[in-house]
Amino acid sequence: MRFTILLAACLAATAAAQDKVAVGVVTSLTGPMAPPGKFQMNGFNLAAEEINGAGGIDVGGRKYLVELKVYDTRANPAEGASAMQRLTTVDKVPVVLGELHSGVAAAEAPVAQDYGVPLILTVPTGPNLTEQGNRFLFRVNASNDQLNLALADFVAGQGWAPLSFIAWNNDAGRGGVNGMKKLIGEAKTGYVGYFNVGDVDFSSHVSNIRAANARAVMLFMDEEPGSLAIKQIRDAGLKTQLIGTLAMGSDRFLKRLDAARLEGMVQYNAFPPNANTPRIRAFSERYKKKFGEEAHGFAAQSYDGLMLAAAAMRKAGTVTDGKALREALASLEHDGVIGRIKFDAKGQAHPPVYVTQWCANGTRRILYPEAFKADCGAG
Amino acid sequence: MAQALLEQVINGLMTGSVYVLVALGMVLIYGVMHVLNFAHGVLFMLGGYVCHFFFTRVTGSYVLSLLLSMVVLALVGLAVERGVFRPLQGNLRNQVIASLGLILAIENLVVALWGPNALQLRVASTETLVALGELRFPAHHLMIIGITAVCVALMFGFLKWSKLGTAIRATSQDRNAAMVVGIPVEKVDMATFCLGTALAALGGALVGPLFLVFPQMGDAPMVKGLAGILLGGMGSVPGAVVGGLIIGVTESVSTLFLPTDYRDSVAFAVMVLILLGRPQGLFGVRVRGEA
Repeated sequence: MRFTILLAACLAATAAAQDKVAVGVVTSLTGPMAPPGKFQMNGFNLAAEEINGAGGIDVGGRKYLVELKVYDTRANPAEGASAMQRLTTVDKVPVVLGELHSGVAAAEAPVAQDYGVPLILTVPTGPNLTEQGNRFLFRVNASNDQLNLALADFVAGQGWAPLSFIAWNNDAGRGGVNGMKKLIGEAKTGYVGYFNVGDVDFSSHVSNIRAANARAVMLFMDEEPGSLAIKQIRDAGLKTQLIGTLAMGSDRFLKRLDAARLEGMVQYNAFPPNANTPRIRAFSERYKKKFGEEAHGFAAQSYDGLMLAAAAMRKAGTVTDGKALREALASLEHDGVIGRIKFDAKGQAHPPVYVTQWCANGTRRILYPEAFKADCGAG
Repeated sequence: MAQALLEQVINGLMTGSVYVLVALGMVLIYGVMHVLNFAHGVLFMLGGYVCHFFFTRVTGSYVLSLLLSMVVLALVGLAVERGVFRPLQGNLRNQVIASLGLILAIENLVVALWGPNALQLRVASTETLVALGELRFPAHHLMIIGITAVCVALMFGFLKWSKLGTAIRATSQDRNAAMVVGIPVEKVDMATFCLGTALAALGGALVGPLFLVFPQMGDAPMVKGLAGILLGGMGSVPGAVVGGLIIGVTESVSTLFLPTDYRDSVAFAVMVLILLGRPQGLFGVRVRGEA
């Protein structure tokens, strides 16, 4: 009994000495987006650990420890909206971060606006999200439009026209193809083939690409179909230049295939984990030490998201007022791991977008932007 | 163009072969028991998973895993026949509902055991390439066509000359007459189910390495196999073979002329067209009293 009282007293003493601020997190811990969700959580956890290790966030002379209030939205819009509702009304957090799925983010954003709590997205890429005039929505990562713009800029200098496409037969795939077509021009577009989610046989696309004499093929898809499509294209003996998406520039992707099939392929990338830039190098080392694997763009973006929220609290001088935090976020400039983050009038940041290329030995080089160009092993 | 056509015909024969393996099992079961087993696609998928299990965890020999997965699925087929279809015999509606229920049960069992993510099955024959002029195919592609051809030949021989095969044919022609001449029709049911699910397992285990092993991998082959059966004629074994191949080749070749997302529509449009002209299917026999 005496021990319990003592313990309670001790706890009360530490609690009084150390204030806490709860930050909302919406992510996927289970369901189809669970693997990328893990990268996102790694980023948040690393940032929280570093903030707390340094004594907390200094707001108006008081130090606040960060506590993450995590909800699993399972790539389900209804779950996302209700988690957001809980975070704003029951948990009363001043700011919410995360999400992976653009459709779920679209369901969460109006709740953020209704309750005046900023929502900082760190992974979803759907371009429309930041076009709704929602003043409480911010996005740290580049949208599909920004990624496409960089890729089109890179491709224009390569003489790879006509450019062919294999894409998801859904919003992401068709939107991506249409966006690229607009950027490179209809005349430079070759064969365009769509496949349904769950399709595994790309042989008909392979024949058509061969028949169209395509110089380059862009694959608008994620890891699983991507690895199948690349294997089938290379096995059929096509030497076509391959162009991939975010999901195809990681060691994880290499494990699904092999260096011989990937060699020469380029893909846009939001975060080259091995780049010889001090901010990226330092982050990658800390990440590898803590999680024992190569750093991931989703982790870097999420890490920056939480650091940004902390910076906004410092600037606004509050850990409770969502509206003040929104104003602080809107005017903040933050040097993050992914680059300088400054939100435009729509709440969209403009981090650099890279194009990396696979080397023969299974490492990657950076080809774009010009300023970050680096050889094998850097991408 | 000729080259693309050749490539698509070979691809079509490969996918068609897979449809044939599914269709053969379904048509045998339909012939003997007069029930369409809609769970055949998930049994196909289970075959892929069992093969993956034996290959990665137990042996490491693909051929052995293939055979083991057929054996395991034959036993599963036995259990399904004894546990689900036999108790419901004579009640077609409940049998169909039960087979739809089996889809949910087996698919979720697989997700519970192996997780929802697709698995890779890396075998040597998918890494070896065979050149045909300028075209190249993984050896596995041609292997699927070859193994299916052998299976079909064996199946014809078995049905024609073996005692059990004759009993299966007799039962599917007239169950009562078969009983009268002393054929143990319930044993025939069991044997047919084992054979059918083993063929489905073979299909799943053959396709797995080429693509991926995942919970929905049997959906398309089941539907296309069924289309093949309808096209070839309900209850006709040669019809199932020809029907499956026609569906496979037409859908592959169509992608050279039409957008690839029309692929499935083309397969079913062909089926509808043929059935309009020949409602009993290509090899089907019109039975008096049946529509």
